[in-house]
Amino acid sequence: MNVIETRQLHKIYKGAVDVHAVNGVDLQIRQGEFTAIVGPSGSGKTTLLNIIGGLDQPTSGEVMVGGASIHTLKPNELIDFRLNNIGFVFQAYNLIPVLTAKENVEFIMLLQKRARSERDARVQELMEAVGLTDKLNNRPSQLSGGQQQRVAVARALASKPKFVLADEPTANLDSLSTSNLLDIMARLNEKENMTFVFSTHDQRVIDRARRVITLEDGQIVRDVRKEIEAVG
Amino acid sequence: MLIQIAWKNIWRNKLRSLVVILAVAIGLLSGAFLMSFSYGINQERSRNIIETKISHVQIHQPEFRLEQKANALIAEGGQATTDLLQRPEVKAVASRLLVNGMFSTTKGANGVQINGIDPEQEALVTKLPERVTHGTYFEGKKRNPILIGESLAEKIGLQRVDEAGNVSYNLRKRVVLTFQIPGGETQAAQFRIVGTFKSLNSKVDETQVYVKRSDLAALMGTGEKVHEIALILEDQEISEDSTFLQSVQATHPDLMVENWKDLAPDLKLVDESFAVSLTIFMSIIMLALLFGIVNTMFMAILERTRELGMLMSIGMNRIQVFLMIMLETIFLTLVGAPIGILTALGLISYFGNVGIDISAFAEGGAAMGVASTAYTYLEPNAYMVITVMVFITALIASIFPARRALKLNPAEAVRAI
Amino acid sequence: MLIKLAWRNLWRNRRRTFITMAAVSLAAFLSITMMSLQNGVYENMINNTVGRFTGYVQVHQKGYFDDQTLDNSMLQNPEVEAAILDHPDIDLVIPRLESFALASSGDLSKGAGVVGIDPALEESFSEISRKVVEGDLFQKGEISALIGKDLGRQLQLGVGDTIVLIGQGYRGATAAGKYMISGLLDFNSPDLNSRIVYLPLLEAQEMYGAYDLITTYALQLGRSDQGNRVVQDLEPLLMDKGEYEALTWETMMPDMVQFIQADKGGNVLIMGILYLIVGFGIFGTVLMMTAERQYEFGIMVAIGMKKDKLSRTIVIETILISLLGVLMGMVLAFPLVLFFNINPIRVDSMAEAYAEFGFEPIFPAIIDPSIFISQAITVLIIAVIIAFYPALRLLWLKPVEAMRA
Repeated sequence: MNVIETRQLHKIYKGAVDVHAVNGVDLQIRQGEFTAIVGPSGSGKTTLLNIIGGLDQPTSGEVMVGGASIHTLKPNELIDFRLNNIGFVFQAYNLIPVLTAKENVEFIMLLQKRARSERDARVQELMEAVGLTDKLNNRPSQLSGGQQQRVAVARALASKPKFVLADEPTANLDSLSTSNLLDIMARLNEKENMTFVFSTHDQRVIDRARRVITLEDGQIVRDVRKEIEAVG
Repeated sequence: MLIQIAWKNIWRNKLRSLVVILAVAIGLLSGAFLMSFSYGINQERSRNIIETKISHVQIHQPEFRLEQKANALIAEGGQATTDLLQRPEVKAVASRLLVNGMFSTTKGANGVQINGIDPEQEALVTKLPERVTHGTYFEGKKRNPILIGESLAEKIGLQRVDEAGNVSYNLRKRVVLTFQIPGGETQAAQFRIVGTFKSLNSKVDETQVYVKRSDLAALMGTGEKVHEIALILEDQEISEDSTFLQSVQATHPDLMVENWKDLAPDLKLVDESFAVSLTIFMSIIMLALLFGIVNTMFMAILERTRELGMLMSIGMNRIQVFLMIMLETIFLTLVGAPIGILTALGLISYFGNVGIDISAFAEGGAAMGVASTAYTYLEPNAYMVITVMVFITALIASIFPARRALKLNPAEAVRAI
Repeated sequence: MLIKLAWRNLWRNRRRTFITMAAVSLAAFLSITMMSLQNGVYENMINNTVGRFTGYVQVHQKGYFDDQTLDNSMLQNPEVEAAILDHPDIDLVIPRLESFALASSGDLSKGAGVVGIDPALEESFSEISRKVVEGDLFQKGEISALIGKDLGRQLQLGVGDTIVLIGQGYRGATAAGKYMISGLLDFNSPDLNSRIVYLPLLEAQEMYGAYDLITTYALQLGRSDQGNRVVQDLEPLLMDKGEYEALTWETMMPDMVQFIQADKGGNVLIMGILYLIVGFGIFGTVLMMTAERQYEFGIMVAIGMKKDKLSRTIVIETILISLLGVLMGMVLAFPLVLFFNINPIRVDSMAEAYAEFGFEPIFPAIIDPSIFISQAITVLIIAVIIAFYPALRLLWLKPVEAMRA
């Protein structure tokens, strides 16, 4: 079953010269896929991800999540939809600076109005999964870039989403942190069958992805599924 | 160069700068306007009290002035009046006989000060005829006429209100004045009400009655003698200058010659403490503004840590950085100042002509002699004071952020990317 | 959670928060100090002239207040007194005969208000014995008077001297009397000090030929703010006893009430301006607080926080910063107010000016919780108004744009 499906997505930025950021993208992503959307900068990766995540409106076309269009949702319903269905990891500065690592993960469950016992258990579980149980009470400024991104991944999963969108999650990380982060995500993908969609131009991420979609000038030019899992 | 950079920097965050500029402008405008409003009310009150009650200068026997001794009379009242009128500075003179007494009708009694006046003199000195509201001002040749305050007339039940709501007064009523004549005996005499007057001060109106000095002198047996001589001068400022007072004093060495400030210390106090109140009030406003200015500039520096580090590492020296931030702060403060001060100037002169209707609050004020219209006014001097204060504020405000900027370490600042 | 977020955000930039708080506390401090002193002056004046002289409520023969002559006096009536005393809020009923007389000594004369009093009752009402600054209360067996100390000074009379009173008695008769001054009184009111003569009630009735008559019942209330209720209750109560009127001091002294209101109005203006400027300062701070957090707001909306919650965080932050400022102002003002409450400021150099307005030149600060609370409410309202703009802006926040900034 397709978790995400887009139909003829277009996004045009009006200006002195119109920019066709996304130009007729048809895309299906299945449950449990570990997908990298790659392409040079300006190829429309981030815009595509934003539209899929309901953060941006397409000029035309449609995004379906779990078989239903997300464009019929009212603004507040869309926010709730994101809260309950999509996990987000951004390039950097993902976290709320005034909250500790634990609180950042818990925050999203508070928005979901989850019970305290459930929150505590899930925080513990996720922080273990990302290997940061010793940093629970540190603020983001007391964490390294890689640690911050790991907390962001934990937060993205805290809401039990249908899939995780990660926009260049490794852009500011060194190689050790990058492989660490990728290990964690791959493990979660395997263990929980969680769907991940990355935008990236980082070869290390591309190497680990099991499906690589290449975007050029807003169009899909290649879509490769690797049947054999890359070596970790 | 620094000036240009500083000026341009202010406009990098327009909304934030506008908030500060607006705060300065509105602070100055409202502060100046409120002060001009209060000054206007007080000036009006002073002017009213001086022009209708105490005049510019008064002359008494010391014993009368200090102890109200009825027999402390100025002997040559008539002659002194004529002599004073000869002086070029003197515009009008009124001489009076004054005595405290009891004003009684069949219905009851009230305490009043009986003013024995010369109607023609009084018209020139305190403009009493202008305040006559009903009846006449000592016209005709009736015996023992008396003019009483409207509020007193009301109190003794002379007021008649017809069905249409028109107010009239049942005048021609006889009243008895009882008072002491010099020597201690009590004298009572009948007077006939010929008119009512109304000043701004209803409380005072209840306690003042006017009779002809000649009538009162006959009853008191005081002849040409008077208690009080009041002078209106060509210009109020002459009374504030000691040369005139000294010259009058020289011709009347035994008498007390005093100007309005001596006669009404409360007016003098209000007059002289105004500059202090203005300074205090504006200082508080400036202090409140200072917080906002300094805060905004701290933020501006914090945001530009990197940029300032860059400037320092490419060779801008510490003094130049210090000066640049100082200038920025000063500009930020001073942009709003002319807007505020000029708007204040405009509004104050507009309402200085048109006046502000304060009758809604004036009833309580009326007892204190406050008019129902306030004319805003500020001395040119006050604008100067305010301008200087803005400059001082700008200077003080500029020191904190500039010092903060200096504490930035260029290397660290650049690293803070 | 929102409050925790708001609270922590406040301390991201301590210096800025502290400066903003300081501005608010300056306004609150000045307002509280000024209002406490000013209301103290009024309370002092009202207490001295109303509480300890006229009484918060008076009962007269109907029509006396409009036409205050002895002809409108009434018989002293124990039945009426008992009926009034029946009211639970009324502690004392004090009979008085009030009229006017020309007071003189030698060559000097001055109008005076003569008040015939029952010394024992008056003592329990206004503690006249404590007002005597020189001499003593009425002497037994001697026809004596107590006079205001300024009246004594003006007439150059001291204790033991004789004062002559001439007035108009009941039904137009001539009233006159000579009295030995047994004491000088300080009412703490320049107005009363310069015109009041106290006589024993019987002496006053004798002089005015108003035997058994009084003009006024002054009432002492258990609580001074019950005046209006007492008046309402008294009207029907006295209906069958005869023609009476009951008036509150506000009705009897409209000038004083209005003057206080006008003066308070002036201060409200001054404080309004100060708060306006401080409001700009808070606004600037809140503006900065929202501007620098655009990226963060974008993330929060992206991961599923509704914008109205975000708005609420900013409103809470604005309110917190403002209320903390007020709290600081209160903490600073309280000891000062307490100090001036115990040690009132005396401004003798301004005595004459204040006397003109009926004040003593004394500023005893009052400690009134409502003054403190009113500042908090004022600042709360200002904070809500200020937060309006950034909160509204947040409702239109576009996460993609916010994160790009």
